[in-house]
Amino acid sequence: MSALTLYNYDLDENCYKVRLLLSCLGAEVGQVAVDVFPGRENLSAPMRAMSPSGTLPILKQDDFVLHEAEAILSFLARRDPDRRFLPDDPASFGRVMMWLTFSTRELDAAVHARATAMMDAPGDIEALRTAARDALRIMDDHMTRQHFEGLDYFAGPQPTIADIALFPSFALSRDYNIDHDHFPALRRWARAIRKLDGFITMPGIPDYH
Amino acid sequence: MSFRGWYPLALSRDIAPGTSTGTRVHGSEFVIWRDDKGGAHVWEDRCPHRGMKLSFGFVRGDHIACLYHGWQYDTAGQCRYIPAHPDLTVPKTIKVPRFSVAEAGGVIWGCFSEEDDDAPPAPKLPVAAAALRSIFADCPAPLLVERVGLLDVEGLTPDVSTIDDRILEVRLGGNTLIACVQPVADKESALHIVAMEELDAAQMKPLALWAEELRRDAESFARKAAIREIAA
Repeated sequence: MSALTLYNYDLDENCYKVRLLLSCLGAEVGQVAVDVFPGRENLSAPMRAMSPSGTLPILKQDDFVLHEAEAILSFLARRDPDRRFLPDDPASFGRVMMWLTFSTRELDAAVHARATAMMDAPGDIEALRTAARDALRIMDDHMTRQHFEGLDYFAGPQPTIADIALFPSFALSRDYNIDHDHFPALRRWARAIRKLDGFITMPGIPDYH
Repeated sequence: MSFRGWYPLALSRDIAPGTSTGTRVHGSEFVIWRDDKGGAHVWEDRCPHRGMKLSFGFVRGDHIACLYHGWQYDTAGQCRYIPAHPDLTVPKTIKVPRFSVAEAGGVIWGCFSEEDDDAPPAPKLPVAAAALRSIFADCPAPLLVERVGLLDVEGLTPDVSTIDDRILEVRLGGNTLIACVQPVADKESALHIVAMEELDAAQMKPLALWAEELRRDAESFARKAAIREIAA
């Protein structure tokens, strides 16, 4: 059986989620760099055979292929013998899944706003920015109330893959022209994420802590 | 718009030692930062080098450094270190304009008169027992203030006394809140809300939900007012 391979593009926040979790878990997998911009290699036939919609990241081991960052995060966290980023108890697990779903649906606007602002992707940047701001407000409101209870992360007292999935769109929000000024609870949460063992950055997320 | 007196800028709780954020008053940009000894600073949000926002930068000890080229400024606003020229004695002229800052009632206040000496006495407020939250809304400050007194949510009916045009006392659900009003820009405003009594998490939550609803309500009124303006 061959080793796990991550098909990665360094500027894609969804790929960063996976690299961040791997680093926090201290796990290593082989990486293949995919030329998304300007090469559009993610849309080539061999890539589409693994990820039909042309999205990254992709995780592959022989015939086993996963696309969608949240599925890959779940797989990697479940595979960790200590389950550090995916609690077992049903209530915590449910909360992780709730915020994981939120990250793919509500924060989709943030991903598109950034792609439109930075990589010429088509889109109504004002509408996308408004939707992204609404999502970040929901997150800030939630973390404000979490902090009342002394909880530092989205699903409870410990970081989970929900935090990993939610982090990039906030950390990169200046790329699509939303500042951090109006999100004090998210600033505090982001500082906690930055202090995690194994934390790594990606281009656009300054490395100063 | 000219500045007058002291403006609330943030909850003291929300600017932890070693951190910074940007803010605006009447559209002008400021950086708020707290050094590692706990001192709060309010400056023009602009690095003299290339105009980058200092609020994008980072605090190291009692210096704030620009994210762009790492120029470091001490608490007097004086540039002390330029990484590209490590041996240079930095000219005294490289300095960031600073403003008077005060902490009262769990809130950071700034006064933007030209000279520090001209600052009127800082607001006198009792010590807050608990910081609730700040809300930031896309509506003019007077509209937000008006809605504070009108918004009933699930049995929480506010009773507002105006202490001055930037400080409201809000009796809400048996609690006394102080809401400090920040005119962020023409059509943007913020409220920094603290509680006068000790509150546990279960007591804080409905008050926080009330504040979230206030933001929705005020923005909805601002949108309707804008539509009426277009129609008229």
